[in-house]
Amino acid sequence: MRRVGGVAAVVGLLVAGCGNAGHSGPGSLRGSITVAAASSLTDAFTKIAAGFRERHPGAKVALDLDASSALALRIRHGAPADVFASADEVSMRRLVDEDLVRGTPTVFARNRLEIVVKKGNPSHVRTLADLARVGTVSLCVETAPCGTLAAEALRMAGVTIPEGRTTRAPNARAALTAVAPGDADAGIVYATDVLAARGSASGVPIPDAQNVLAVYPVASLKGSKHPALAKEFADYVSSPDAERTLRRLGFVAP
Amino acid sequence: MAGVGVSLEASIRLQLGTFALDVQLAVAAGEVVAVVGPNGAGKTTLLRALAGLVAPAAGRVVLDGSVLDDPDAGVRVPPEQRPIGVVFQDSLLFPHLSAADNVAFGLRCHGLSRSEARRRARDRLHRAGLGDLATARPGALSGGQGQRVALARALVTGPRLLLLDEPLSALDAGARVEVRRELRRELASFEGIRLLVTHDPLDAVALADRIVVLEHGRVVQSGPIGEVTARPRSRYVADLVGTNLMRGIARGDHVELADGTGEITAPGAGAGEVFVLVHPRAVALHRDRPEGTPRNVWRGRAEALEPLGDRVRVQVQTAGARVVVAEVTPAAVIDLGLADGVEVWASVKATEVQVYPA
Amino acid sequence: MRVDATRTEPRSPPAAVVVVAAVAMLIFTVPLVGLLERAPWSDLWRELTAHETRAALRLSIVCSLWSTALAVLLGVPLAWVLARARFPGRALARALTTLPMVLPPVVGGLALLLAFARDGLVGRWLHDGLGIQLTYSTAGAVLAETFVAMPFLVVTVEAALRSMDTRYEDAAATLGARRWTVFRRVTLPMIAPSLAAGAALSWARALGEFGATIMFAGNISGRTRTMPLAVFTALETRPQGAIALSLVLLAVSLVVLVLLRHRWLGSA
Repeated sequence: MRRVGGVAAVVGLLVAGCGNAGHSGPGSLRGSITVAAASSLTDAFTKIAAGFRERHPGAKVALDLDASSALALRIRHGAPADVFASADEVSMRRLVDEDLVRGTPTVFARNRLEIVVKKGNPSHVRTLADLARVGTVSLCVETAPCGTLAAEALRMAGVTIPEGRTTRAPNARAALTAVAPGDADAGIVYATDVLAARGSASGVPIPDAQNVLAVYPVASLKGSKHPALAKEFADYVSSPDAERTLRRLGFVAP
Repeated sequence: MAGVGVSLEASIRLQLGTFALDVQLAVAAGEVVAVVGPNGAGKTTLLRALAGLVAPAAGRVVLDGSVLDDPDAGVRVPPEQRPIGVVFQDSLLFPHLSAADNVAFGLRCHGLSRSEARRRARDRLHRAGLGDLATARPGALSGGQGQRVALARALVTGPRLLLLDEPLSALDAGARVEVRRELRRELASFEGIRLLVTHDPLDAVALADRIVVLEHGRVVQSGPIGEVTARPRSRYVADLVGTNLMRGIARGDHVELADGTGEITAPGAGAGEVFVLVHPRAVALHRDRPEGTPRNVWRGRAEALEPLGDRVRVQVQTAGARVVVAEVTPAAVIDLGLADGVEVWASVKATEVQVYPA
Repeated sequence: MRVDATRTEPRSPPAAVVVVAAVAMLIFTVPLVGLLERAPWSDLWRELTAHETRAALRLSIVCSLWSTALAVLLGVPLAWVLARARFPGRALARALTTLPMVLPPVVGGLALLLAFARDGLVGRWLHDGLGIQLTYSTAGAVLAETFVAMPFLVVTVEAALRSMDTRYEDAAATLGARRWTVFRRVTLPMIAPSLAAGAALSWARALGEFGATIMFAGNISGRTRTMPLAVFTALETRPQGAIALSLVLLAVSLVVLVLLRHRWLGSA
């Protein structure tokens, strides 16, 4: 009897140790989580995840990067994700409506749209209106947030780009790639993307009056196997450290 | 076109890997020349060189006065510009064209319209008795029919040099007889130069006037058939003709055989290097050692008895690994109780031994 | 019918092997079943005739036929040279023509960009000198498809040329045919089945090309959005349309397989 109890105790300890409830060090969590993040958060979240790991050495953070709309679709179909950081409120709301979100989402950053052109701006693009005259314009598909926002900005500015000169990319990073190293003349992506591509492309800012800002909410998801760690990460994204990183990369304060 | 003055003079030297061909050949108008030789002798290579399919490294080929090949002068006439017709061993009829279209092929290449070419082709096939095969595909033709169509195809363009590369080898015995007959007829009425490559002596005898013997890329003998077969200068021809041929040094009344098996008595042998020819019929066989007039006598064992017409061919294995071929009557076989392995004595009268300079 | 006592039926494999084989079959059949099961059969015609879908279908047919034609016109001479001409570096040339077959398409697309974009190695001459831009154009889509599809044709035709009996060409020459005539009237007809198979393979490959096309020609509706790109783009917005297009591509693949079954699968 006692031996069985002893074995049970050892097994229990082992199980507890493998679980997310395990602690090592004060306030530091262990576990492995997947963060689904909009592709425009690629650089930001890579740095933020690194900072998070410094705080929680036992934690592993995997990033799943794509257009928010695509990510939302995947998550709704059961893709494993612990945290979702979206580039628009629409995608987040889809998950909220399906009761996949734990707690309420927090907006942690915003992003301006910016025109990206080849390095040195050889086509001399100055305004959104100029996009109607250049050869090929690279935009996101309309279901992705960057595509929706770009369409709105163009509509508000009264500019129409013929569909026959628009090449559609699945997400903002892909849209940027079409301009550099691709051969498209210009594109509309996020300001953060343009900043990240500093060496290989140039940016043309869109004045605030014409600009449409992307709003970035973050939330931990109900399907997470490590809810505490997921929440910790979602909170960390709004921390001063993370905010500093986001600002430096070109994001606007929430 | 008149056959007068058409001639072929060829001197061809070329190297293909380790094989070297060095041939001088002249064919006069009206001659049918058969090129014979063992496998690998270079017969087909020679024919391909004459057709222009392989270029000689040195030499000269002149047909009817026009130079076809002269490497030193940089002259090389490609096959399509040579006035030649070639019949191949496997007929090589184009499988995707009917017999008539095959025959018409050369005519169309020479500029005839499709309808005119086809008309002439059908005409030719008809004259050869193949009219109802005009629309047949080569796959539906028998071997013999295929070769006859191939012959028509080669001849219809009126070539001045007709080359035949073992045209009967791939045929079965019955077809061979039939096609040989037709070939004889066509060759007889052909006005240009005719050169035939074959390894079948029957072909050579039936079709050719002159025979050229090729061995290891060189001409070892050339001349009218009767002469070559009467006085073979190579084992190949001897075997072809089925006779006993030996080499040796003549010393007056006998010849020291080169293979070291002894001597043969032959009065008037002369001196110097000679060929020794003994016709199988001159070889007599006995159960016991024969006595009497001076003869050449060998002891051996009978082997490979083979009926040949009204005679029986017997190979006698003698000492020194020499085979003597004898032809005896069936009655003699019975008398002597000849069978495989039976010991016999073979003898040849000295007067029946033919000796001629090597 | 006489029973041949010496002929034995082959023994069937052991049960365990059959089970594993069944699992292997599932890898092939389940995705197809999934596609067929989700297909909008009742709305199929409507999906296929929707404007976007029609544009993608038309573009795919136009581009794939053009690229197959280019593959044949350029590939046959190339195959002829590789099969018959002797020159130093022939083995390397042959390897280069097969490279697009093993290269990941997206890498091929990048390579095409580096060569033919407006600042590319050759592209800059085309653009600055002739005012031609190949990227983001239908011609660019054709170029990308030809790049990936032509090797199939070259490989098939070259193999046929090498294995055919060249004595037929000799015979044709002795009948008076010049080299071009020999090729046209003897060689080509004799390799026609292989040529057809190579063209069919090329066409199927061109039709299904995605990576190089999207990188080089972009994703422009009506201009470069071929069927595979349309499937990709429609996945989120109109999944039913994506499935309908996928069915068309699947049907085309099946047709090509059936036509070429004797060459690949042996006589069944």
